[in-house]
Amino acid sequence: MFEKVLTIFIASALINNFVFSRYLGLCIFFGVTKKMETSIGMSFTFTAVMLIGAALSWFIYTYVMVPFQLGFLKIVIFIGVVAAFVQAADTIMKKVTPALYYKLGIYLALIVTNCIILAVPLINAEEHYSLFESMALALGSGLGFSLALIIMASIREKLDLADVPKSFQGLPISFVLTGLIALAFLGFSGMITL
Amino acid sequence: MTTDKVNYGTIIKNGIFGENPVFRLALSLCPAVAVTSGVKNGFLMGVAVLFVMTMVNGTVSLLRNFISPKVRIPSYMFIIATWVTVTDLVMAAYARDVYKQMGLYIMLIVAFAIVLSRAEMFASKNKLIPSMVDGAAMGMGFLLALVLLGIFRESLGKGSLWGYKFVDSKPLLIMIMPTGGFFAMGLMMGWLNWVDRKFFGGTGGGGGGH
Amino acid sequence: MFEQISQLFQTAFTHILSAFINKLVPLVGVGGSVESVEVVEIKTIVYAVALLAVLGVIFGIALAMVAARFVVKVDPKVDQVRETLPGANCGACGFAGCMGYAEAVVGNPDVAPNLCAPGKSAVAEKIAQITGKAASAVDPKIARVFCQGGRGKSQRKFIYSGVMDCTAAVLAAGGDKSCDFGCLGYATCMRACPFDAITMSDDSLPIISKEKCTACGKCVAACPKQVIELSLMSKAVVISCHSRDKGVDTKKKCQVGCIGCGICVRTCPVDAIKLENNLARIDHTKCITCGLCVKKCPTSAIHDYIPVRPKAFIHAEICAGIDVCAKVCPVSAISGDVKAVHAVDQAKCIGCGMCEARCPKKAIEMVQAPSSAAGKHVEKEMAAV
Repeated sequence: MFEKVLTIFIASALINNFVFSRYLGLCIFFGVTKKMETSIGMSFTFTAVMLIGAALSWFIYTYVMVPFQLGFLKIVIFIGVVAAFVQAADTIMKKVTPALYYKLGIYLALIVTNCIILAVPLINAEEHYSLFESMALALGSGLGFSLALIIMASIREKLDLADVPKSFQGLPISFVLTGLIALAFLGFSGMITL
Repeated sequence: MTTDKVNYGTIIKNGIFGENPVFRLALSLCPAVAVTSGVKNGFLMGVAVLFVMTMVNGTVSLLRNFISPKVRIPSYMFIIATWVTVTDLVMAAYARDVYKQMGLYIMLIVAFAIVLSRAEMFASKNKLIPSMVDGAAMGMGFLLALVLLGIFRESLGKGSLWGYKFVDSKPLLIMIMPTGGFFAMGLMMGWLNWVDRKFFGGTGGGGGGH
Repeated sequence: MFEQISQLFQTAFTHILSAFINKLVPLVGVGGSVESVEVVEIKTIVYAVALLAVLGVIFGIALAMVAARFVVKVDPKVDQVRETLPGANCGACGFAGCMGYAEAVVGNPDVAPNLCAPGKSAVAEKIAQITGKAASAVDPKIARVFCQGGRGKSQRKFIYSGVMDCTAAVLAAGGDKSCDFGCLGYATCMRACPFDAITMSDDSLPIISKEKCTACGKCVAACPKQVIELSLMSKAVVISCHSRDKGVDTKKKCQVGCIGCGICVRTCPVDAIKLENNLARIDHTKCITCGLCVKKCPTSAIHDYIPVRPKAFIHAEICAGIDVCAKVCPVSAISGDVKAVHAVDQAKCIGCGMCEARCPKKAIEMVQAPSSAAGKHVEKEMAAV
């Protein structure tokens, strides 16, 4: 059992990295990686929200939705849970850690429209993972996303000094860069034979 | 009367060219890269988004006077989630083979920034028909962008279009992999910016992006 | 009786709903991620609605409780002050962004209301109004570039073709400029300025716009050679050089560098200039911006930032021929016999204002460019004389 948990964790962090292999969470990815400090802040927030959001969703799915055959409500319920939780986190952070709150600013609210936040509970539901496996997926996705953010931020900070053609400045060149990193991440694909 | 007609024209043009969600606004990029490994997939995704956006805009516009401003975002998310569930189930039933490949991405339409922002910016302030037209126009822009990307990727990556092979030699396999998706997106954006600058005097590119 | 009616309603409702869903709307097809059902049971609908309702209620209550428990009492004044601030988050005030300053100035009685450099006096007044603190007049500062050695006037040690950025260039043996203290000209300061106040001249020197510069200090921090300094805007005469090399070396490396000759030290009527380490520096507390040193400097290292100097004009009807003005004039521009009306040679006059300061009869007026109203009046008088 532990083997499967570890496999899921490594797979979601490296092999099936949510950004580079599954193309999820790109809006935030490009928005936050302009500066290193916002990227690091976002990584922490995202992993925290992911873990708790995935856990809550799993409980509601396993103990309420499956017994009553309400699987078709997945999308509605999961997004509702995440939105409510982010709202609560928003209010609490404003009071308890205002410095971090102001630093993150809009990004906290933006997590709600992050594809990965919804994708992980959906995958958990479809594959009928147990609690540990769901947590492994959530943690792995958080780690993979953080890795992606930090790599991209460190490159983009140096990008300012490069001589990029005018039409490609900003988003297009970032996309091409992401493609190159994705190519590098392909190297992980033989790591675990599932 | 005439002003209404002019309005629709502007709305439609805006949705497809001026504020094309993928290439201009750079919103909802996740699916653009994910599902365009084939033209067919991209087309169906575009159709799904078109449907969702039209319906969501319509619903939000109908209910705009009944939703209290404090709870509007959760309400919009709820409406969007409902319509996406409908789309998801319909697609699962009638386009089974395509759905198998991209089922997850259809469900993720609910997280698109473009749907929520259009509902918030346009549908909550306008009447039913203009809102639906706007949703349809944005969806159309999205569909066109996806098809364009799909054509680029599939013709290079598989040597075919919509499943019909037209090139016999070995294709550029990288294009249908994630890397190719990013490359295609970046190159297309860059080229379109260049075209915009050269022929339409636009200001595409030049820093920014979100 | 009631039970019967409610029972009746329930059955009727169930039947209608069932008929609508199962007959009018096509059957749900096979496939998808949900197990298929042939007929939609009312039970499912009831459960779905119940679950959503329950969750909605739970979330609503939870969020309301959290919002009430974790309320942050925001002084409305903070938001008011925040509105007046420019929002550039430049940090010149010394606080973390505009919000940080807004909170500090409202919450802390010791924080002065005039710390916002970009906001200048207009913002300082508004903040003083909102917080009830007294705003002292802000003496505006501006960033000045202490180097005039552009590409045409200075030598380079080697050809640099690396990253076109001063911080990068400085890594290559201290930069490609022969003079170690000079501006490299790769526009790092221009990129650092949040107000777009810096542009690069054709000679690769930064030009700082007087209107846009807010003295936030970002360019000062960004320059790896520390060529830019903040100085008072009113003190417009500046020795634009930081070179501490011996005069002989400076002359080889740059045409407009300070060679430490000391002529300016001797010329200055108020002893405001000191020579230290082969570099002359003006003490701005003493400087009266007369502009004499500018004319006397052999390498033109001193820069006069006043765009157009006024000229002295003697009012003939007031002049009593005391002759003090002619004696103090450093360029001997005033002529006239004792007890006779004196006149200023406009061509020689450098507008230093010494004569105006010394005239006991206050007969001398410093007049701006002839096109101004005062200038026209002066022209008329001069024509009369």
